[in-house]
Amino acid sequence: MGAITLENIVKSFGAVEVIRDVSLDIPEGELVVFVGPSGCGKSTLLRLISGLDQPTSGHILIDGKDVTRVSAADRGLAMVFQSYALYPHMSVRQNMAFGLENTRMPKAEIASRIEEAARMLEIGPLLDRRPGQLSGGQRQRVAIGRAIVREPTAFLLDEPLSNLDAELRGTMRAELAALHGRLGKTMIYVTHDQIEAMTMADRIVVLRAGVVEQVDTPLNLFNKPANRFVAGFIGAPRMNFIEAEDGRVMGVRPQHLRLADGGLAVTVDMAENLGAETLIHARTDKDQPILALLPGQLTPTRGENLSLVHDPADEHWFGADGLRL
Amino acid sequence: MRPATSAGAVVTAPLRWLARATDVPLSAWQRLTGQRGMIALFLLPNMAIFGIFVLVPLVINLLYSTTGGTEFFLSDRPQVGADHYARLLDCGNYLDPNSCRDDMFWIAVSNTARFVFFQVAVMTLAALITALILNRALPGKGFWRAVFFFPVLLSPVVVGLIWKWILQRQGLANLFMVELGLEPVNWLTDRLWAFVAAVGVSVWAHMGFYTLILLAGLQAIPRDLYEAAEMDGTRPFRVFWRITLPLLMPNLLVVIVLSLIRAVQIFDEAYVLTGGGPGTSTMFMTQYIYEVGFANLLRNPGLAAAASILMACVLIVLTLLQLYLSRRSGAK
Repeated sequence: MGAITLENIVKSFGAVEVIRDVSLDIPEGELVVFVGPSGCGKSTLLRLISGLDQPTSGHILIDGKDVTRVSAADRGLAMVFQSYALYPHMSVRQNMAFGLENTRMPKAEIASRIEEAARMLEIGPLLDRRPGQLSGGQRQRVAIGRAIVREPTAFLLDEPLSNLDAELRGTMRAELAALHGRLGKTMIYVTHDQIEAMTMADRIVVLRAGVVEQVDTPLNLFNKPANRFVAGFIGAPRMNFIEAEDGRVMGVRPQHLRLADGGLAVTVDMAENLGAETLIHARTDKDQPILALLPGQLTPTRGENLSLVHDPADEHWFGADGLRL
Repeated sequence: MRPATSAGAVVTAPLRWLARATDVPLSAWQRLTGQRGMIALFLLPNMAIFGIFVLVPLVINLLYSTTGGTEFFLSDRPQVGADHYARLLDCGNYLDPNSCRDDMFWIAVSNTARFVFFQVAVMTLAALITALILNRALPGKGFWRAVFFFPVLLSPVVVGLIWKWILQRQGLANLFMVELGLEPVNWLTDRLWAFVAAVGVSVWAHMGFYTLILLAGLQAIPRDLYEAAEMDGTRPFRVFWRITLPLLMPNLLVVIVLSLIRAVQIFDEAYVLTGGGPGTSTMFMTQYIYEVGFANLLRNPGLAAAASILMACVLIVLTLLQLYLSRRSGAK
């Protein structure tokens, strides 16, 4: 239970088409991450799946059943919002019970589900507090708990970690991945943070301007990006692109460059020392910007000439149309 | 020198001269009294206005309420102590105005209490419903908001006159009723209808202001909460009862207390509309005070002053309640 299929989904707001003919198969139990720059349509796509918005055309199927015109409540999905959307005037327990009470579930069953979710998320001592009395991380757990108690067929998570500080985000990332392993339910996770996408996803859907650019596993996206956009978007620091004379473009990741004589001659603009490695900002004699992530603590001066080489196996070639060759 | 600069210099010259002239005494005052003295100095103009137009009249009113006769100056008026208060509060049964020594006062109190109850209830409900409707994606939303707010801008006398023109025996309302083949109604000369008209007109005139307060409260409720409720399959009435209403409660309390304060003071539009009649059915406390103090043949300014002090006590309690509620919601 929990397989989701999108067939030729289009969503327009007035004259603006924000989702353009998106088709996607998400098998049961998979953790899929929608990633892309701001305004690419990833949250809109999640809202269409949730039922909070209706597609202009196309079909949404859950476990083979067309739910395109089915209300959000009847799709059997649970959503964790970016703002958590906890009811501020209710206790944590009441927040978690609210959705279940709508289904006229017996009180004992509600209590047992809440206890179980609270135990899983370690929020037992917080059950009688209100959201205003909780930290960001605790609120985040409560929001997930509210989704868990509904025992949905799939979880939809809209940038759930974006309001947390960097350290907590790292911890919660690992916890969410572990939770997915324990629950074994389908999860669709929206983020603009590619580290979240790379570390959590079974598969990543890269979106740009309402179009799916590539769907693949994190490592395949990194190793074999389908086009220049994906190559530039996935991986930090971003891939270098060097235009060849024949109109083709060669991409090489900053991590794959090293210092050696007889390579690409570049002039240093700036160096960022990250401790274990140094990120060098440089440019070629044709004024093309180049990033090189080199091991160790280097201190090149501005204007210094360096020679950078790479293994030909690390090259990515793209045609004039941007597609991988 | 450019002309603009010279014109500017001419304009600012007196100001600069004034700044220099006041600098000396202000500096001396600050040296003498420190920061607290400066604060007091800058507050002085406002406090003086408040004192002259609010505090002093209040004290004079209090003194007036302990004097008798019809003389204007306090020094000419004989002391009667708490006689007026004793007269106003002397009642066999406070729920039966006829058992009171000053039955007119208690009729006015009883009318005002009924008016406050119905006006606040009807207006709060009407403002809430209007705000809920205006908060939806409505075509011409700005226009409708303006329509409901417009009566707030009218003078109460104008409101009274407009509705008198509509509701009088030969008025617009009856004209329509006759056109529709219905019997005309004595809107302003029937005791019940006159009271209903006073409540209705007051609701119409003030509702827009309270609708705006509630609309602001509704718009402050995050959309995510409604979407979370939608995902949970919450029925619309339960959404209203369990989410909207509790989150709107601080605004709703402010609306109720502010409208209570205003309703207790009802006078102008009701006086223009019905003149307190028929009989005494729409005579409210402020009208009683006005008539006893200024309009009756047998004027009794001391008694009117005592009645206004009693009314002030009610208003002070309501104002303190309003301050408490706004501080509590501010603290949240």
